[in-house]
Amino acid sequence: MAKWGMVIDLDKCTGCQACSTACAMENNTLPGESWQDVLYYHEGKFPSVNVKWFPRPCMHCENPSCMHVCPTKATYKDADGFVLIDWNKCIGCKYCMIACPYGVRFYTDEKPLFAPDLKDVFPGQDGQQWSPPYQNPHSDWTKGIGIQPKGVVSKCTFCHHKVSKAPAGVADLDEADPALKEFVPACVRTCAPKARYFGDLDNPNSTVNRLIADKRGVRLLEHTGNKPQVYYLGEHGTVPGFSRPDKS
Amino acid sequence: MTTATNLVPCEACISRISNLRIGAGAVGIVLGVIAAIGLLVQGHASFNTDSNLAWGLPAATYVFFVLTSTGLTFVASLATVFGLKDFYPIAKRCIWGAIATLVTGFIALGLEIGNPIRMLWVIPTNFATSSPMWWMGLFYTSYLFLLIWKFLLVQKGDWTSTHSKAIGIASLVTVIFAHATLGSVFGMMAMRPFWFGGMVPVYFLITAALSGLAFIMLFINLDYGMNHGNMTEGARRAMTRDMPAIFGLVLGLVLVFTLARTATGLWTNVTEIKVPMQYIVGSFWFQAELWLGMVLPLALMLSPYRTNAKVQTLAGLLVILALFIGRYEYVIGGQLVPLFKGAWYPDLSTYTPSLTEWGVVILAASLGLLLYAYGDKKLRLDDSPNG
Repeated sequence: MAKWGMVIDLDKCTGCQACSTACAMENNTLPGESWQDVLYYHEGKFPSVNVKWFPRPCMHCENPSCMHVCPTKATYKDADGFVLIDWNKCIGCKYCMIACPYGVRFYTDEKPLFAPDLKDVFPGQDGQQWSPPYQNPHSDWTKGIGIQPKGVVSKCTFCHHKVSKAPAGVADLDEADPALKEFVPACVRTCAPKARYFGDLDNPNSTVNRLIADKRGVRLLEHTGNKPQVYYLGEHGTVPGFSRPDKS
Repeated sequence: MTTATNLVPCEACISRISNLRIGAGAVGIVLGVIAAIGLLVQGHASFNTDSNLAWGLPAATYVFFVLTSTGLTFVASLATVFGLKDFYPIAKRCIWGAIATLVTGFIALGLEIGNPIRMLWVIPTNFATSSPMWWMGLFYTSYLFLLIWKFLLVQKGDWTSTHSKAIGIASLVTVIFAHATLGSVFGMMAMRPFWFGGMVPVYFLITAALSGLAFIMLFINLDYGMNHGNMTEGARRAMTRDMPAIFGLVLGLVLVFTLARTATGLWTNVTEIKVPMQYIVGSFWFQAELWLGMVLPLALMLSPYRTNAKVQTLAGLLVILALFIGRYEYVIGGQLVPLFKGAWYPDLSTYTPSLTEWGVVILAASLGLLLYAYGDKKLRLDDSPNG
């Protein structure tokens, strides 16, 4: 058994959003259903403005509040540390979206982000909410993989359909290793500045553990107790507090 | 001076109100279906909720009605559990009203969630005991069965047998757990500080009691043509002596609770509490809720006019509207601050219910109204142990 985790080095991340694009292509997500998105924000006032960005996948928490609140056990954590959703059990109550402190869950049975609505352009077949002509052949509704049916919640799976096929006992999934690249999550594999690392958090020799130790990796919103399995490196590894823009 | 005891019940007034209610319910269903047709055509894309603000008006409506049902059971229990004789004449109405409002809430919730039919079997078979919502479902469903059971017993004239009393006690205990777990659905969410707190079930308890009392003030007075002279002696005594006092007392407590909660929210430095509270307090609806929906009815209940049926009807209506606004503020307020700041979330989340969402509310409320009207016409809701 592994405990898969991700490390994102914010000092290397350029905010190019290739990860978001690769994720959308890999998982056939709808516009707005950003399983992996990059949040942009700025701090300070002109001329001392600091523009920042923050890549945000599902944190696949050790102690996921989304799982605890699910009234049907549709959201569950498997033995390898993935937090997954069984779409055959999900009732679309959206309680998990309420309870996720990281805002990484999506309910796509809502207004389209822009027109035309891709659900109209590619109408759903075989129970899918939409059916684009090119789809990832891997689909498993018991794990929230593939294109979801109507009325369920979706989220990042850490590319379970790839990672779960990795050779047993491997410490890291590095896209630079030809033998392992097919098992690397899409966002990690496509990251041009190599800001992302994926490996076994239970393996003390893994690169992810070494980076977390050497570069003082931090997890987001630790006070919630969710204990993410995604760690951030670099100086921007905190989420700024909310403040309302001055309305005057 | 004409005393209440020698007034003749105005059967025509009562019948007129009853027919009006059926008419309003039928019109409401038609309007609700027309407005909610988007749900059939577009699914939840016809709602204005999104992934940032997941629970909208129908969820607030659910909370409002199931807590009203809770409050009606509290009042019925004064007679059926605690044996206070003054409340027997309105107890059967309260039980039937509790059933009608509970069904109304369930309909609103069922139309809000993605797979309501699947819910019927995946919730009972998966035993997700770590979820407050699972417990809420368990207790509110049990509560519905117990209410129906109790009503059937009362319908057969069995008010005071050991069996009937046991079902009455079970209903009360179950609904206390039900409302507490509903409170926990919100109160356990530490990541939503606006909702969080162990006192939320207590807040729901006291506001549920007020909600039930307000419905009694509105509906029972309307049932009798807003004239206590049309009531039986016992019902008249309950509505002129006990109910206004209890209603005023609970309203006063809720007002204190509301002011304390508001002041705390405005004072705190916790952004996720302070900013939504500032936003809410700055709205017209909050001012209407506070002054017209709480202060004015409380003043009326403290005045000598509190025994007047029309005054009671007005006070009941105002409090119901205030509580509905309050439920909406609470459910939406907890989601206003986006979970992460960024270019995509430059301000508070915005939300205005869509026509379809209003349609869901009207449809659910109209079905509840018709259910109550059916009971009023066919099920002898005036019954009491003394006949």
